[in-house]
Amino acid sequence: MMARKKKTNPFGKKVTRRDFMKNTAKATVTAAVVGTIGFPNVLRGAQPPEVVIGQIHPLSGFLGYLGNQLKNGCELAVQEINAAGGIKSLDGAKIKLLTADSEGKPDLSIPAVEKLDREGVVAVTGCLQSSVTIVATQVAEKQRVPFVVSVAVADKVTDRGFKYTFRIQPNAAQMGAQTVQYISEIAKQAGVPVKTIAYLHDNTAFGTSLSEHVVNNAPKHNMEVIARVPYSPRAADVSSEVGKIKAARSDLVMSTGYFADQVRAFRTMKGHRVNPKAFVGCGNGAFSDQNFIKELGKITEYVMDGNYQANPLSPLAKTMYANYDKLHGIKMAPSAIFAYEAIYVIADAVARAKSTDREAIRDALTKTNMADHVLPQGPIVFGANGQNENAQAAVTQVLNGKINVVWPAEYSQSKFVFPAPS
Amino acid sequence: MNIYYILQSLIDGLLIGGVYSLVAIGLTLIFGVMRIVNFAHGALMMLGMYTTYWAFNLLHIDPYLSILICVPVLFIIGAAFQKFLITPILDAPEHNQLLLTLGVSLFLENLAVFLWSPNYRVTRTSYEFAYLYIGDLSISLQRVLAFLTAMVVTGIVYFLLSKTDLGKAIRAASEEPRGALLMGINVRRIYWITFGIGAACAGVAGSATAPFFPVYPTVGGIFVITAFMVVVLGGMGSVLGAFAGGLIIGLADAVGGMIFPGAMKSIISFILFILILLFKPTGLFGSKN
Repeated sequence: MMARKKKTNPFGKKVTRRDFMKNTAKATVTAAVVGTIGFPNVLRGAQPPEVVIGQIHPLSGFLGYLGNQLKNGCELAVQEINAAGGIKSLDGAKIKLLTADSEGKPDLSIPAVEKLDREGVVAVTGCLQSSVTIVATQVAEKQRVPFVVSVAVADKVTDRGFKYTFRIQPNAAQMGAQTVQYISEIAKQAGVPVKTIAYLHDNTAFGTSLSEHVVNNAPKHNMEVIARVPYSPRAADVSSEVGKIKAARSDLVMSTGYFADQVRAFRTMKGHRVNPKAFVGCGNGAFSDQNFIKELGKITEYVMDGNYQANPLSPLAKTMYANYDKLHGIKMAPSAIFAYEAIYVIADAVARAKSTDREAIRDALTKTNMADHVLPQGPIVFGANGQNENAQAAVTQVLNGKINVVWPAEYSQSKFVFPAPS
Repeated sequence: MNIYYILQSLIDGLLIGGVYSLVAIGLTLIFGVMRIVNFAHGALMMLGMYTTYWAFNLLHIDPYLSILICVPVLFIIGAAFQKFLITPILDAPEHNQLLLTLGVSLFLENLAVFLWSPNYRVTRTSYEFAYLYIGDLSISLQRVLAFLTAMVVTGIVYFLLSKTDLGKAIRAASEEPRGALLMGINVRRIYWITFGIGAACAGVAGSATAPFFPVYPTVGGIFVITAFMVVVLGGMGSVLGAFAGGLIIGLADAVGGMIFPGAMKSIISFILFILILLFKPTGLFGSKN
């Protein structure tokens, strides 16, 4: 339809009913791609069924930046799938994205899920924050709406025996344990002994749970967390917290937090001349975001982060980054990758279910075995609790102003630099 | 806990306290003098930060020089806010003003999201990492500049309020509007001028913090609650009180941060706040009425 060659001048010829219908159908598809304008049902008659997917992210409020990144990720996946001919097993049905704003508040996710449910979504993705996701998945479970978590790290999200909740990204346990393991492997390969860690983390469930896993896993690799300093992400100044980190004089400084607070914290650490062998984030909201480098420049060089990431060697990921840049004019944050992948996982389940029936899609999700994806892991397979069993974190490092995956070796695009030259 | 750590925390506390003072001085004019609970103060500061950010990135004007742009811009916004939105409901119950300023704050924040996206932006000056190092101590040049700005602004506003005719008119209009009106003072005009000055101060606070603080639409929220506390602590309407109060809260947070983890660090400043209200309800520099 899009490739139609014969060009007709809409003003030079009387518009027939058939032409009108054709053009309207075209417009409907375009509208579905953009995902903002709904057309009256009458005009959809001739179309294959529409596959409606809902997304809930904090588009306004203090997490607005990341929330919009995730929304952008969903939009990109929808656009790619539709441009490639939609869901083929459903006669090329197009995906339509419905958007809800959580404003970062758990209570607002309840009406959001209910509304998406009424509007007939086949599945929902969300919500960036663990606190919001825990509530939203609960509602989805009650309403029997399949829920593929985009980003939410708390173990609890998939630990409640829910049947409709699925998560692709590594949970806190996987991410904390793997980050410690990978760093110890890097240190070993570099031949540099690393014994002590000082940990600066935000005081919400996010930083608290990740740091806890690091504290518990460090002894397995002959390391010890000698200082653990929580800070409030809403505090204007974290100097005294940074002072405690500096006083610890540890081999490594680890940190977890969201974007703006981590930019402030890192800047303060550099200003106060905290000079560990390496700065290592764990699930850090800033350290593996290209925009972090854009904001702070060369002081970010050599900063590492154990985080959920895309597999940089995958050609699919390369296309994804390029398309994201083109569509949204901003670098893709790592969290947006998982919103993007969530849409693909849902679309894959719909394609196998060959139906828009939620029960069929849920069953298809449990049988997911997806090898074509952008992540640094084997196939995406959900365990009985809905957690991606093969989920794997990766360690990134800022090298020459670019975020590079440096560990595990099979996914690394560059050789790590450790310890960081001072 | 070594001596450097303690000294470092105190210095940082004092310097960030200067920023709190700067935000609070504008608020003490609006909230302290005119008794308008201005929830939009943080949003006005945010507008100041964006003005500085854009002046720096588009026109290559140094953030501290951009204060000269910020002051008139924010003055006009503040004066218009008072003249067209608050004046019409001056006689309505107080909570209506509160809802109005809250609404304006939400509007401005979302307007910023719409115009400039929710992305974080950092103003990157050539001296962004200029630090003075003394032994193990490090002192940020930008924070010292922000502190000096706070001192200068305090001086100017103090002089304006206590020595000029305009200042006398402002105080008269706030203490006894009817009497002031009878003395031939155009009270409504004084109100929008005062609001304009208060907003301009918020703008200066924005300019002074933009070099070391990421700029984003909801950034004002981080400072505005502290600023309300500082105003009450220092004494409603007292410029010197706002300055001293800001420093006290900054230092108290620093001491709290040394002792308590995370958000608990504000415990000391809140305890101080309660104690001062208990024993001197009018605030440190507050007058009887």
